[in-house]
Amino acid sequence: MPETLRPATDASSTVHSYNVRICHWINVVACAYLLVSGVHIFLDFPELYWGHTGYRGYPAAFRLADWGLSWDDAGKLGDRRWGRNYHFTVAWVFLINGLAYIGWNLYSRHFRDRMLPTRDELTGAHVRTELRDQFRWRSGRHASNGRYGTLQKTSYLVLIFVFVPLMILTGIAQSPGFTAAIPALLDMFGGRQSARTLHTIGTVMLVLFVAVHVLEVAAAGSFKTVRSMIIGR
Amino acid sequence: MSTPISRRTWLTSLPALGGLLLTGCTRETFVPPRVRGGLIGAADVLTMSTNRMLLLGQPLAREYPRSAIADPFPTWNQTNPGNAAYQRHLKEGFKNWRLPINGLVARPIELSLDEIRSLPARTQITAHVCEQGWSAIGEWKGVPLQRVLESAGGVTPAARYVVIDTFDGWYEGYDLFEVAHPQTLLAYGLNGRDLPTGNGAPLRLRVERQCGYKNLKFLRSIRVVDSLAGFGRGTGGINSDFGFHWFAGV
Repeated sequence: MPETLRPATDASSTVHSYNVRICHWINVVACAYLLVSGVHIFLDFPELYWGHTGYRGYPAAFRLADWGLSWDDAGKLGDRRWGRNYHFTVAWVFLINGLAYIGWNLYSRHFRDRMLPTRDELTGAHVRTELRDQFRWRSGRHASNGRYGTLQKTSYLVLIFVFVPLMILTGIAQSPGFTAAIPALLDMFGGRQSARTLHTIGTVMLVLFVAVHVLEVAAAGSFKTVRSMIIGR
Repeated sequence: MSTPISRRTWLTSLPALGGLLLTGCTRETFVPPRVRGGLIGAADVLTMSTNRMLLLGQPLAREYPRSAIADPFPTWNQTNPGNAAYQRHLKEGFKNWRLPINGLVARPIELSLDEIRSLPARTQITAHVCEQGWSAIGEWKGVPLQRVLESAGGVTPAARYVVIDTFDGWYEGYDLFEVAHPQTLLAYGLNGRDLPTGNGAPLRLRVERQCGYKNLKFLRSIRVVDSLAGFGRGTGGINSDFGFHWFAGV
């Protein structure tokens, strides 16, 4: 087939590169597993504390029992053996997938060319317009031209380079092995129990992020957006 | 059948290869004794070898100030084994309790509690980290496990693991890298007193870089072996026999 008859492979019509698409869907599966397994682990000890110390009977920052689910009932719902096995397995999938995504997109200049907000986009007027569109559910027009909006760019960059690293660090700050090797992990978050609490709060924030993300997809036209994340166009 | 095994062998050989270049490290330092199948097994190898690479210099786990101590120290799971032999020892104040140290050691021995107490002691204020999510800091007093093995003339060249079993029917295997750590302790004291029954009297293990379930209580015997295949279901410990991680550094 002559090249001219293949507009589908033309870079300008591709919304998402192969790399972005593959990593995105691996990430969806990994995050689903991390969430479910994490909830299982939490349910087997449904209290949160601050500092280095926390055990049943120690003053808690959060007790699931105060919110209507008793310790025993939570324990029946949670299976931490399954949870730990899958959490620590999928964490590697998540990490390797994430590093592949970052490595590839640094190499292909995806971050610089498509995700770093330009100077024009960072002006107050531009951000205000985008925010206004956002609350009128018109954010789809950014997606339709195949480019990310400023708010989108900013939230993705913060998610990838700030939030996810913090989730990984608060995760390994709970590990007796990793904290023996890197004691700074204990000081960074104020203790193992603080790290566990922050990891849990981070999980709730991530779930909210995904909820907004899915709403945005719906607002921009689910069919078109999901299709472009699968076949690229 | 042959494909997954060869793939696994290949996979598990990678960190071992690096380890062999380092003195005192063997394949056992980086790879669990029996690697599980599939993605979970691959992740087990990644987790353990990453952890051990970071811990090659055998740094100490964080030791805390006295003000951080939890007293009374929380108790969890088994707090008083019903086992007849244990109940007899408890009644006798552990006067006739003896700890056999045998297997691949130069001179198998049995130590009484007083003999263990007479060995050079170490005190450490460290955090007990339960895999369920809780943690508490206690002051542990005891003898480094390595020192006790030296009392038995040291381990033979074929030795790879130490198996510890307990009065409540638990057993766990530990690779020699874990055993050699200065904080790997046979503890008889907690928070300035004799180790309470609920925390594992008369003697419990402290492996400060692994989760609570590797810190066995109510110790009954210590055996040095070249392989963990013949114990329990052959995974290397009671917790891994039931599907938990053998290496509990996370």
